[in-house]
Amino acid sequence: MHQLGYDENTLDQVVRFLQGLTRKTAANRKSAGCQRARKTAAIIRYFCVAAIKKGDTVIRINLNGEWVEDAQADPQWTILRYLRTQMAQVDVKEGCAGGDCGACTVMVGRATEQGLQYQSINACIALLATVHNAYVITPQGLAKDGTLHPAQQALIDHHGSQCGFCTPGFVMSMATLYQQQCQPSESTATGQTVSNPAEHGWSAPEDDAIHAALSGNLCRCTGYRPIIDAARAMGDYPAKNADAVVSFDPNAIKVSDEDGLQPLLQHQQRQLFVPHTEEQLKILLQQYPQATLWAGGTDLGLEISQRFRQFDTVICLHAIASLQHSQDQPEQLLLGAGMTYSQLEQELSSDFPSFAELLHRIGSRQVRNLGTLGGNIANASPIGDTPPVLLALGAQLEIDGIYGRHQLAAQDFFTGYKQTRLREGEYLRAIILPKLTAQQTLHCFKVSKRYDDDISAVMFAAVLGIDNHTIVDARVACGGVAATPLRASNVERALIGQPWSEQTMLQAAQQVEQDYQPIDDVRATKEYRLQLVRNLLLKTWAQLEALV
Amino acid sequence: MSHQSSLLAPYAERRQRPAKGRSGKSLAHESAEKHVTGEAVYIDDMPELARTLHVAVGKSTITCGQIRQLDLSAVRSADGVVDVITLDDVPGEKDIGPVFKGDPLLADGRIEFHGQPIFAVAAHSFEQAKRAVALAQVDYQEEAPVLTITEALQQNAFVRPMHVMQKGDCDAAMAQAEQQLHGELYNKGQEHFYLEGQVSYVVPTEDGGMKVYTSSQHPTEVQKLVAEVLDVPINYVQTEVRRMGGGFGGKETQAAQWACLAAVFAKRLKRPVKMRLDRQDDMVLTGKRHDFLGRYRVGFDAHGKLQAADIELAGKCGYSPDLSDAIVDRAMFHIDNAYHYPAMRVTGQRCKTNTVSNTAFRGFGGPQGMLIGEGILDDVARAVGRDPLDVRLTNLYQHGDRTHYDQEIEDFPMAELMTTLANQCDYYERRQQISTFNQQHRFKKRGLALTPVKFGISFTIQFLNQAGALVHIYTDGSIHLNHGGTEMGQGLFTKVAQVVANEFDVDIDTIQVSATATDKVPNTSPTAASSGTDLNAKAAQNACLTIKSRLLDFARQHYGVEPGALRFANNHLVVSAEQEHWVPFADFIQLAYQNRISLSSTGYYSTPKIHYNRDKASGRPFFYYALGASCSEVEIDTLTGEYQILRTDILHDVGRSLNPAIDIGQIEGGFVQGMGWLTSEELNWDEQGRLASNAAANYKIPTSIDVPDMTVTLWDKDNSEDTIYRSKAVGEPPLMHGISVWCALRDAAASVADYRVNPPLNTPATPEQVLKAVQFCQERSS
Repeated sequence: MHQLGYDENTLDQVVRFLQGLTRKTAANRKSAGCQRARKTAAIIRYFCVAAIKKGDTVIRINLNGEWVEDAQADPQWTILRYLRTQMAQVDVKEGCAGGDCGACTVMVGRATEQGLQYQSINACIALLATVHNAYVITPQGLAKDGTLHPAQQALIDHHGSQCGFCTPGFVMSMATLYQQQCQPSESTATGQTVSNPAEHGWSAPEDDAIHAALSGNLCRCTGYRPIIDAARAMGDYPAKNADAVVSFDPNAIKVSDEDGLQPLLQHQQRQLFVPHTEEQLKILLQQYPQATLWAGGTDLGLEISQRFRQFDTVICLHAIASLQHSQDQPEQLLLGAGMTYSQLEQELSSDFPSFAELLHRIGSRQVRNLGTLGGNIANASPIGDTPPVLLALGAQLEIDGIYGRHQLAAQDFFTGYKQTRLREGEYLRAIILPKLTAQQTLHCFKVSKRYDDDISAVMFAAVLGIDNHTIVDARVACGGVAATPLRASNVERALIGQPWSEQTMLQAAQQVEQDYQPIDDVRATKEYRLQLVRNLLLKTWAQLEALV
Repeated sequence: MSHQSSLLAPYAERRQRPAKGRSGKSLAHESAEKHVTGEAVYIDDMPELARTLHVAVGKSTITCGQIRQLDLSAVRSADGVVDVITLDDVPGEKDIGPVFKGDPLLADGRIEFHGQPIFAVAAHSFEQAKRAVALAQVDYQEEAPVLTITEALQQNAFVRPMHVMQKGDCDAAMAQAEQQLHGELYNKGQEHFYLEGQVSYVVPTEDGGMKVYTSSQHPTEVQKLVAEVLDVPINYVQTEVRRMGGGFGGKETQAAQWACLAAVFAKRLKRPVKMRLDRQDDMVLTGKRHDFLGRYRVGFDAHGKLQAADIELAGKCGYSPDLSDAIVDRAMFHIDNAYHYPAMRVTGQRCKTNTVSNTAFRGFGGPQGMLIGEGILDDVARAVGRDPLDVRLTNLYQHGDRTHYDQEIEDFPMAELMTTLANQCDYYERRQQISTFNQQHRFKKRGLALTPVKFGISFTIQFLNQAGALVHIYTDGSIHLNHGGTEMGQGLFTKVAQVVANEFDVDIDTIQVSATATDKVPNTSPTAASSGTDLNAKAAQNACLTIKSRLLDFARQHYGVEPGALRFANNHLVVSAEQEHWVPFADFIQLAYQNRISLSSTGYYSTPKIHYNRDKASGRPFFYYALGASCSEVEIDTLTGEYQILRTDILHDVGRSLNPAIDIGQIEGGFVQGMGWLTSEELNWDEQGRLASNAAANYKIPTSIDVPDMTVTLWDKDNSEDTIYRSKAVGEPPLMHGISVWCALRDAAASVADYRVNPPLNTPATPEQVLKAVQFCQERSS
């Protein structure tokens, strides 16, 4: 077996070989001999799989302070599925199984150079494999030894629960916010560092921070006011009550010593890899060019959680550090494709503030902690929020994989509905944003039925270059108006070279129907979408003139 | 004294202070601590017994037609599948219609809506069941569906006959009116979006009966339907509901189907069976708030004083009657809201459409009727050029007026309530500020509206207005409380426990509220119509009064004192003879037990005064009205239709509050739910009749940032009717405060045309609808 390779595919080849032999030797497939041979083949396979599993596939998480190992985990399991059905950890609830309601919110702690970093995520769409060697904290873990965490006690005292089903999720979002407010400085949006448990250093959160922390938690009973009051008041409670979280020892997290080329999890025909380097990723892509790449999974996760689809081979990209790096250069900003939206919120705030502001409206805090820029692009949804901005900015995409590294303009990447120029065996490596010149401004407008955590009816982005009251440069792109995110070339032509005026924008708006032929769907009618693009051109003018 | 648990405070301490948690206090929800630790057990959290199976249903992929052929062989042989059933496998009654027939447990060969369950699968795991149901081969004979109210009206497709309420000579009054206008408003329905989806867990009992754990507002109906479906007497089935993760009406009738399906499998296989709907199935398979189309003609004078109204209300019922008859009636009852129409005709249509059967939802048709009524008032105000608040105040009912169903208006301080709110929130001053703001901003417009709510309290089906309770006192003085109401988050268990604490003047923590169970209190009404506390707290109080009277009789004899010398205070019985003798409650109970006094009693209550003759559309369907008013201010973006709700002030009448914190929670939560119904929550069906808004990803209930700066004040005055401690029901009425948001959005749009036109603004008023309304006004302003 070792010489043949150490995975189930090899075993399947053996099984097929044995079955082939039986077909050749037994004319009648239903003959007893044939049946026996088939059974033998299946038995051999069973024991070989068991041997592989026993040796190699153990997932290890720290659940509320206790390390748990599981050798039987299915690569398809989400964290929620695992907690509720395997661990009887039923304080984590399923409300929507789509990352939209937050009832399943858990806090995940990871060892970093700065210590443990905590994030709130949706357990319903995150694969169990993504918290391998991490801390997972649920409401019961917060309330260790009968002492309630400040988030919990504040919710009780402010009458913040009614039916109570969403409450555990709110508790976890609030407790994560608490950790964030307890640290001295820097990190506001992303993971939360707690260096010294003794000095909680609480600072009351701004309302914006509260809303951001709760943006992925739906409550149908309370109307939120008491929950917001509770979040404001968490600092009124003894800081030691938060110790259940902060007392975890980051050093207890074993540095992952798995070979990224071996499956972390295997079950039946399915396997999951967690490569640690791009080199490993490329080797895996050679072997499994059709593998499903998991880059956050905030959309892909629904295939499992809501549609019960089973993937043969999944390669998770979250452990590849080089995909999460950014490089700030004088002319451009290079963003690793694996950077989460939460990471980008900070990364973009100085050079692209309107893009950073838009990020606050993508999904929820939990979704932004999981979802990645590369995932949003490679997923190629016509309603992804970042692609129109990338098109307007003239971004380049860096692609790597079995054909080598190359670059592509973002606008050439999308070829059709959910279709891209990314080939099997390739992955998105980085996104390169050219910085704006002194004449250029970026305008991003997202229009949806709900402000937070909604999908756009229209996502509008424009870069305008204005010199001496003349538009010298215009790139306008929208999502939600075609099968792909798309530039508005006729509108752009109507802008370039024209004087900067309301009249110019109104004239350009007349070109919108030449560029876009949207459809009616659950989010908007085609008429509204066209009207929006027209009006958003005017709003771009109004924004620059400080009229809105 | 018997052993006293260390969980409770010692009597020495309790004597020194008033009993804790009595009625009127802002006590935390009885499960609050369990909520925040996640230890509160919902059905899906219960430990599963060995051999538990999981059920999923196979859904129709057409909207209307007949099943020609059904091939389930691939389903039966799918991984993990144990059993598959169709309607033919149901041993007893096959129709689970709650009031009228028409709801087959599984499709009877005919398909009436897209997604209708055709068969059900029991498998070892939830995922296996879900994967298996996708494997069915179904051959259909398709027919053209009826999908809209308009189509149903054209084709005379109704689930129940039309009904009319009238007052005075509407046609004559209309003809004489100085001015007339007519209009139309369509309000779409609403998904309940309780956070806990529908779920039941059924365990067979030794007699061939069933123990049913269900997330239902109506355990008695689940019990009855499970018994009927299994063809066993009702007493073979026990239903238990500890709590629901939200109900809002969605679990009144429509929890039963899943319990019944699980029970059929449990009976066939003699195994525990769980059925849980995932969110998409829940949204596709269960009914919602009814859409309503309102068409109206209204007559009024130059001051906007109403003279006559002729209104047709058409509700989208879906494929079967369910509760639609009563829901459309309640819409008709509430079309007048707080206003006196000298003459009126209201026609109610129950449209049959090939969509899921719509059902109860907080307000039960009332909000839909009231919204149309409030739209009329705004239309009239703009027609006569007066401030809408002034026109509203002009038309309020006065004491002694009669409604269009002939109920006399008594005790109606609405004018005082509305002017109090207007003063509290500086209505007229802000009206001026908004006018200035709107002149100064080209692309932003603000709007303001103050609207009343008058909501009738009682089930309009008279016999439902009854309740039972069961109170035991154990020998250590601890009290066990049970009643027929269900806890869905509204705080019912807390309020009723507070009433019991009040009756015996004992600490609330000596009272344990137990799960609603059909073998403890039988033949219960659904926890619905805002009636939970009114009915069950009175029943519990009556149980307490029975026990108290036995205890006081005994004490009188035992201590040889007059009745006036005995009272319960601070967790003690106080005997006032020559000097006061304080007996700890536990000691007294122990004494009573040793003297063979019964320490357990049922309690019963039925609502007085109500009567209604539906044939004549006349009577007193409501014991009383709950009142309130709200004022909302909004800001819209005239380029995109996006908006923000800036501020909402609410003054609401809960009578003498049993628990102000819980009441305010109901008011705020109700308002936000009503706001969601009218703003961001949009149900959409595609042209084939498939529900397009079938997930949290495309059906958007409000989030925390959508909630305005909100001030809620209680109008804390005694109910003039003899309700429990003079309180008022609070569940449904505040939902209709959301109407002030819609009126304010319309006000903002109308500002574009200097309030001279009435912008159409169907609901939900999504940014798209608001932009349309703005454009309508822009086109007419120049």
